Amino acid sequence: MNNQEVHAVTQEKAAEHVRIVCFRVQTPRGLWSMTEPKDATKRPEYPVTTKIEQVILDVRSVFKFVEQDSKYTLLRGDEILEPQRTLASYKIEDHTLLVLSVQGGNA
Amino acid sequence: MSISPEVSFETLRHELPNAAAYAAAAGLDLDDTSLSAQDLRLYLRLANAQGEHFYVEFHCADYPLYPPTVEFVSPDRTERGTMRLYPQGFHATPCICMRYNRKAYGERGGPHGDWRLLDWRLPTGNGIAIDTLCLMISDLHSKIRQSTGRMA
Repeated sequence: MNNQEVHAVTQEKAAEHVRIVCFRVQTPRGLWSMTEPKDATKRPEYPVTTKIEQVILDVRSVFKFVEQDSKYTLLRGDEILEPQRTLASYKIEDHTLLVLSVQGGNA
Repeated sequence: MSISPEVSFETLRHELPNAAAYAAAAGLDLDDTSLSAQDLRLYLRLANAQGEHFYVEFHCADYPLYPPTVEFVSPDRTERGTMRLYPQGFHATPCICMRYNRKAYGERGGPHGDWRLLDWRLPTGNGIAIDTLCLMISDLHSKIRQSTGRMA
């Protein structure tokens, strides 16, 4: 690889790091999007390097899922998104619809 | 004590848009086609970790004063509450042992003599209070998609 090619690859990587994706999350208390809910303090737009766990924390905050002992999982269809992985690793694109699954306690 | 079927119907009509949106996003099949004030039943199809289908009936008489009766049924809805209709992981009664299920209460023959029907919106343990149809769907979805096999 010559210097010009190395430079191009570096620029491409840098662009990937700052790329922002805007997606949607359906929760049991409503949809989180760039417009809903109207009074949301955060919106689902993130650098692709963001970890799934941050998205879960934010959507919980928006919809006031404060209970620590419930199980919160982010899904894309049937696929469980692992909290420690990034949005980029799942190739999350603009307008993708994710699901916040909420499980209560056990009796 | 009971409430008018029309009140239950209107409550469900209010909750259904979000429940339907959630079910669609999660790939679940929510059937409300027969829902009316005269027949307060909804059905949900879910799949376990092996892709095996299970069918849940929500019978919502007196909802939201009391929780629905939530029961596993056969695909044609002629059989209900038998062990072979249940996924693994539920109470062996068999019963969905959560406050949102009327069948779980001792006064309805269920295992929980320590619960009162009027308190059905309380959380179970330190978890979230499951007090809407959509949260019930999410809770069942979360449990069943992790389970494998049938109870019998």
